[in-house]
Amino acid sequence: MVYWHLFRKSFAINMQYRLSHLINNAASAIFGFVYIAIWTGVLTGKEQKSPYSILDMTYYMGASQCILWMTVFLTAGLGIQLGVRNGAISIELARPVSYYFYVVSQEGGRIAYNALFRSLPIGLIFSLTVGFYVPSHWTTLVYSLLSLLLAIGISLNIFYLIGISSCWTTEISWSWAHFIILTLMFSLGGQMVPLTFLPEFLSQLAKWLPFAGVVYYPVLIFLEKADHSVLILQTGWLLVLLFANHGITAAARQKVEIQGG
Amino acid sequence: MKLYIKLVSASIRSRMQYKMNFVFSMVSYGIVMMIDFLMLAAILNRFNEVKGWNLYEVGILYGISSVSLSLYRTVAPEIHEFEKYMIEGEFDSLLIRPVSPLVLLLSKNLDLSRIGGALQGMIIIALSLYHISHTHSITMLLIYLPVILVCGWIISFSLALVTATIAFWTQRIKDFQTFTLYAPFNAANYPMNIYPGWLKFIFFTVIPVAFINYVPMLFLLNKGGSIYYLLLPVLVALLFFYLASAFWNFGIRFYHSTGT
Repeated sequence: MVYWHLFRKSFAINMQYRLSHLINNAASAIFGFVYIAIWTGVLTGKEQKSPYSILDMTYYMGASQCILWMTVFLTAGLGIQLGVRNGAISIELARPVSYYFYVVSQEGGRIAYNALFRSLPIGLIFSLTVGFYVPSHWTTLVYSLLSLLLAIGISLNIFYLIGISSCWTTEISWSWAHFIILTLMFSLGGQMVPLTFLPEFLSQLAKWLPFAGVVYYPVLIFLEKADHSVLILQTGWLLVLLFANHGITAAARQKVEIQGG
Repeated sequence: MKLYIKLVSASIRSRMQYKMNFVFSMVSYGIVMMIDFLMLAAILNRFNEVKGWNLYEVGILYGISSVSLSLYRTVAPEIHEFEKYMIEGEFDSLLIRPVSPLVLLLSKNLDLSRIGGALQGMIIIALSLYHISHTHSITMLLIYLPVILVCGWIISFSLALVTATIAFWTQRIKDFQTFTLYAPFNAANYPMNIYPGWLKFIFFTVIPVAFINYVPMLFLLNKGGSIYYLLLPVLVALLFFYLASAFWNFGIRFYHSTGT
C-alpha cells in the first residue's frame, strides 16, 4: 500500500535527526516546568478558588507538553505550500493516488516518530521529576487514545486546510496564516490556560471550537476530568474539516497554475 | 559604523518595496504576541497575583522581555538564521570580504516586521506603568527603563551569538535556540521567585535572563532590592557580550566549508 510506504519512509527520515530532537525534548520539558511553576505560584494558598488543584495543573501541563508534539507541532501547512511555490504540486495532483492521503500519510509518519521520540521521552522526564498522571480505570486509556486520534485528525486537517489554501493566496500572507493558527491552537486549545479559566464568554465559545479538540479535551479525558461526550464534538469537527478539505482539494485541481521559470 | 549604516539603509529600502506585506506582518506579529499576554492576564485577573507580583508588575517584566527579544530579532535576523550559512556553505563568501563577518551578518538584513513585537511590549509596559503609577512613584523607573531595555537587548543578542557560534561544530542550531532563547525568554516573562532552585540557578548564571528585568525591578518596584541592583544588568550585559564575542572569535577558527 503506497500510503503505508510513505508513512514508514517519513518515519525513517525523522530518525536521522533523533539526537538533536532529544536536545529539544529537554527544552520542551523546561517549557513545561515554567508553566508548572507559574501555576504553582498562582494557585498557592488559593486552591479553593480554583476547580483544579496544584497537582491537577502539574499533571495537566505535563500531559499537554507531551500531546503538543503529536497535534500542534506539525509541519507548517504540511509542506503543501512548497509544492505550490515551485510548481511540483501540478505533478503531485496528477498522480494516480489521492493527493490528500499522499500528504497526510507522510505527516502521519512524522507524528508516529514524534510520539516515540518526543512525547514519550518528555513524558518520562515529567514522570521522574514532578510525576505523571495514572488514570484510575483502564477504560480511560481507551477513551484517551480515541480522543488523541481524533485530535491528531482535527489538527492534520487544519494544517492541510492552511497548506492547500496557498493555491489561492500568496506564500507571504500564507506563512502568517500558519503563525496565527498556531497561536489559536495554543490559546484557544488550552495549552497554557485550561479553557475553564478564560473569561466566561471566551471560555464558552472556545469549548465549541475545533482548537479545544486538539489539546484541551484529550488532556481532560486522560485526567478523567471530562465527560466522554466531548468525543462527539471532536468527531463532528473532524468530519466537517474532512468534507471541507475534500471539496477544496477538488477545487485546487481546477485552479492549479504553473508559475513558469 | 558608516559602512554599517549604509548597508542597513540599503536593506531597509529593499524591504520597503513590499509595504503592504511589511505592515501586515508587523501588525499580525504584534497581535499574536498580545494574545499570549491576554492569556496571562486572564489567569492573574482571576487569581490577583503570582507570589507577590500583580498583573501590572508582571506586565512590566513581560513587556521588557518582549521588547528585548524583539529588538534582537529586528536587528540580527541573520544571526538567528545562522545555520543556513553553515548548511549551505554561504559563510565562505563572508570570509573573503575585507570586513568582519559579524558586521556583514548584522548589516545584511533587518527584520522590521519584528518591530510589531517591540511595539506590543511597549504598549504592555505603558499600560502597566499607568496602573502602577496610582500606588507607586514611577519616575525612577521611567528614567532607568531605556538602560534596562538596551541591556536586555545586548543580553539577548549575546545569547543568540553564543548559540550561533555552536553551529561551527554542530551545523544546526534550531534545537539549541529553543533551549537558549525561546524557553529562557518565556521564563523571563514571569518573576524568577516562582521557579525551583535549579531553574533559578540557570537563569541567574549560564543563561542570565534574570538580569534583563527581574533584578532591576526588585528595586524599582520596591520588592526588596537595593540600588546596586540597577548596576547589575549593565555589568552582566557587558560581561556577557564580551564572553559571547570571544566565543564567536574562537569558534570561527573551527569553520570548515561544505565543499559544494
